[in-house]
Amino acid sequence: MHFDLIVIGMGLSGLMAAKTASESGSKVLILGKGMGALCLFSNTIDLLETLPKGMKLDEGLSQWIKDHPQHPYSKVGAKIVEEALTSFTSLFPLPYSFVSAGDGNSLLPTGAGTLRPTYLIPTTMVAGASVREQGGLIVGFKGFKDFYPDYAATLLGCRSLTLPPFRTFHEEITAAGLARSMEKESFREEIGREIRREMGNETRVGFPAVLGVRDPWGVKKGLEETIGAEVFEIPILPPSIPGMRIFNRFKEWLVQRGVTVLLGHSVSKAILRGRRCEGIRVSNPPLSSFYSADRYILSTGRFVGGGLVANEEKIYEPIFDLPVSQPRSREEWFRKSFFSNLSHPVHQAGILTDSSLRPVDDKGERVLENVWIAGSILAGHDSTNEKSREGVEIATGYMAAKCAMKK
Amino acid sequence: MTKVPMTEAKVWPTSNADACIRCATCMAICPVSRVTPLFPGPKQAGPGAERFRRPGDPSVDSWIDLCIGCHLCDMVCASGVNISELNLLAKAKYLDEKGRPLRDWLLTHTYLYGWLGSLFSPVVNWLLKNSAIKWMVEVILKIDRRRQLPGYQSPTFRQWFRSHHSKGDRRIAYFYGCYVNTNEVEVGKATVEVLEANGFEVTLPAQECCGIPMLGNGDFKGARKMGLQNVPNLLKTIRSGSEIIFSSTSCGHMIRHEYNRLLGIPGSEEVAEHIFDLFEFLRNLKESGSLNTHFKELPLKAAYFAPCHLRSLNIGLPALEILRLIPGLQLENIDADCCGLGGTFGFKKEKYEISQEIGKDLKQAIDRSKPEIVLTDCEGCRLQIRHLTGLKVLHPVQVLRDALLQRTDEEMG
Ligand code: SF4
Ligand code: SF4
Repeated sequence: MHFDLIVIGMGLSGLMAAKTASESGSKVLILGKGMGALCLFSNTIDLLETLPKGMKLDEGLSQWIKDHPQHPYSKVGAKIVEEALTSFTSLFPLPYSFVSAGDGNSLLPTGAGTLRPTYLIPTTMVAGASVREQGGLIVGFKGFKDFYPDYAATLLGCRSLTLPPFRTFHEEITAAGLARSMEKESFREEIGREIRREMGNETRVGFPAVLGVRDPWGVKKGLEETIGAEVFEIPILPPSIPGMRIFNRFKEWLVQRGVTVLLGHSVSKAILRGRRCEGIRVSNPPLSSFYSADRYILSTGRFVGGGLVANEEKIYEPIFDLPVSQPRSREEWFRKSFFSNLSHPVHQAGILTDSSLRPVDDKGERVLENVWIAGSILAGHDSTNEKSREGVEIATGYMAAKCAMKK
Repeated sequence: MTKVPMTEAKVWPTSNADACIRCATCMAICPVSRVTPLFPGPKQAGPGAERFRRPGDPSVDSWIDLCIGCHLCDMVCASGVNISELNLLAKAKYLDEKGRPLRDWLLTHTYLYGWLGSLFSPVVNWLLKNSAIKWMVEVILKIDRRRQLPGYQSPTFRQWFRSHHSKGDRRIAYFYGCYVNTNEVEVGKATVEVLEANGFEVTLPAQECCGIPMLGNGDFKGARKMGLQNVPNLLKTIRSGSEIIFSSTSCGHMIRHEYNRLLGIPGSEEVAEHIFDLFEFLRNLKESGSLNTHFKELPLKAAYFAPCHLRSLNIGLPALEILRLIPGLQLENIDADCCGLGGTFGFKKEKYEISQEIGKDLKQAIDRSKPEIVLTDCEGCRLQIRHLTGLKVLHPVQVLRDALLQRTDEEMG
C-alpha cells in the first residue's frame, strides 16, 4: 500500500507526527513494535528542569536554546514548541486535560516521596502540587507492589493508610487490575467508606496514579463523593496508567481520522535507492509486507524500544543504518563517576539532523532526502537529566511532520 | 532422524524470554490478569516462569490454562518477546501431563459432528436450548449452562454452494471454515455475493477445520493434523492460479501464521503468501481502482469491533476502511481489548466467570456507542457480543452485501 507519510515508531513523538500530518489531510500509516516508553514512564509532560516556577515558557526556552545550539529544542524553536504543546493539549479537553500551574514548572510528589519539577499536569494530579504545604492522607493497597504509601508519606510529611485486600483481588494486584477496579462504583464505595473512617483532619487524599484508564476524572469525582475530601493522583513506577491514557486517546483519534495504525510488528528493513527511501518491510513471520510512501518519519526511540542498538563496538540505528553520533569508544560512554550529576556521553548519543530534522552525517551532509527524525532518538539531549522527555517528543514529532508535509 | 514429541520445546519456536526487560507493559494490557488474580499475567506466565521450566520436569504452573491466547501481550511488547507462544507451549505440556477432559475434545472437534448437527438441525437446536439438557451438559461436560451453544443450520454452506452457479471473469477461492459451513451460512453467502459483485467467480477448495480450536487448547498434534490436510489442498488451488480469501480472522490467522510459525507445516509459507483476509483483499481492489463501489444509501448506526486475531494479522482495519465508503452508514470503532470468549475458553464452566468479566469492558464500550447493530469479523466475537449485549451482530461483509446488492434489486425491480 502507498501512503503520503509513514511514521515508524509509536511513542509520543510518532503519535504527534501522525496526528499533525493527518490534520494536514495526508494519508498516514503509523506502525510500532510495541506500546513503547509512553506507557512506561510518562505521567506528566516534562519540558525542562530549568524552568522555575514563575518563569515564562518562551523566556526559559529562549535561554536554553541560546545555551544549547545543538539541542532538539534549538532546531524546533520556542514558538513551534509552544504550538506543538497546544496541539497536544487540544486532544485532551476538560475535565481530564493537561494544565500548567501558571508559569514555569510545578513540583509534583512522586511515589518515591520526592518532589519533581514538571510542566504540564493532568487535572487529576493538580491538587498534589501543594501536598508539602497542606498535607494529606496518602493511600495505598496491600498487595500492590508498585507503591508504598508509608514510605512516600513519611518523606512528604503526610499520614499514610494501607488498605487491606478487597474481595476483587487476593494477595497481589497490578496497576492495570487496580485501575479497572477503580472504574467500578461498588469498589470505590467500599474503599471510600474505609478511608473515610480513617480520615483525621486531612482535607485531601493522595492515591497512586491508577484512577481508571478511561474516565479518571469520573473516578476522582466518585471517590471524592464517598470520602468527602479532595482526591489526587501521584505518579508511580512503570507501567504508567496515565501514559496508557495518552496512548489510547491518540490511537482512538487517529483511527477515527482514518489513519492506518499497525501495532505489534517491527520494521525489518528500509529499502533505499540513493538518498531516498522507497519503502519498508514489516515482518510478521512467515510474511513480510511492503509499504511505501512519499515521506517517512523515524521515531523509534532509544535503547528501550530498539531505536538504537549497541553491540560490542558501537551504537547503530538498525532500520536505515543512519550515522549515530556517539562517543569514540565504549570506554567513554560513561563519566568516571557513575553517579555524576552531569550527563553521561552515551545519553547524548543519537541521530544528527539539520534544522529541518533530516538526518546528516558528522560533516553535516544530508544523508536521506525523504526521511525526517523525531523524538528521543535525536542526538544532543539527555531527557532524563534535563527532564525534557515529553517536551522533546511532542515538539519534534510536530515539527518533523510539519517539515515533511511542507509542499 | 529421530522423532521428537510435539510439545518438546526444541521443535517449536525458540524461547526469547531473555529479551524481556521486565518493563511490565504487557501486564497493563492482559485482559485475563486484569480481571482475575488467579492468572499472574504475561510477564510472569511467559518470560518469568520460562526460566524455571525444564523439558523433563513436571509442569508447576496450573494457572497457565487461563491464558486466553489473545496475543495482545505480544503486540505491545517492545522487546519482541513471544509471550503467548511461551504460554501456549507451557499449556500444551501441562495438559499433556494432566490429560484433557472429554469436554475439550468435543469443543475442539465440532468439525467431526457439525454435519450431523446440520442434518438434524431442528432437533439439535431444540436440544441445545433445552434447560434440562443444558443442566446435564453442565454437570457432565462442565460446559457452562449460562452459555447458549451455537445452533446448526441446514443446508450447510457447502451444500448451498453446490446449487449456486458462480460466474465471473477471474477466479477466487474461499476458505469458509467450519462455523460458516454449519452455523452461519449467511456469512458465506454474503462473501460469495460480494466477490461476485466485484467480478469474481468463487470456488471452494477442499478443506477441513483449520485446527485453531485444538491449538488454543494446547493440542499441537491435533492442530498439526488439520494443517497437514489443508495445506496440500490449498497449494493445489494456488498453483492453479487462484488466490484464496478467508472471512474468519481466526481461521485466517491460523493458516497464515501459526501453520508456519508454530506448526512448521511444509508448504505453509507459500500458502501464507496467497491467502488474504476478505476485506484486505477488497482493500487491494480499492487501491487498484477496481472495487465495486456502487453502494446504495444504508441509514444504519453500527459499531465495529476489531477481533484479536485480526489485530495480530497486522493489516490494520480494512473492514472499517471499506465500510466507511458506504453512504449513510454511521460507523464507530469500538476501542476495547478482547471480547473474552477466547474460542472455546468461555464455554468452559470453570472459566465462564473470567470470560464474562473480560467481556464486561467490551459491553460497556458498546453500550456507550448505542449502535443498532455490531459488526465484527470473528465468529467467536459475534457469539460473545450477542451473549453480552443481546444486540444483532453481523460480519461486516453482510452489511457490505446489503449496500451493494439491494441496489441491483432496485435497479431490476
Ligand atoms: S514480556 Fe515484554 S512487555 Fe512484558 S515485561 Fe517483558 S519486555 Fe516488558
Ligand atoms: S495471550 Fe492474552 S491472555 Fe495470554 S498472557 Fe497474553 S495478553 Fe494475557
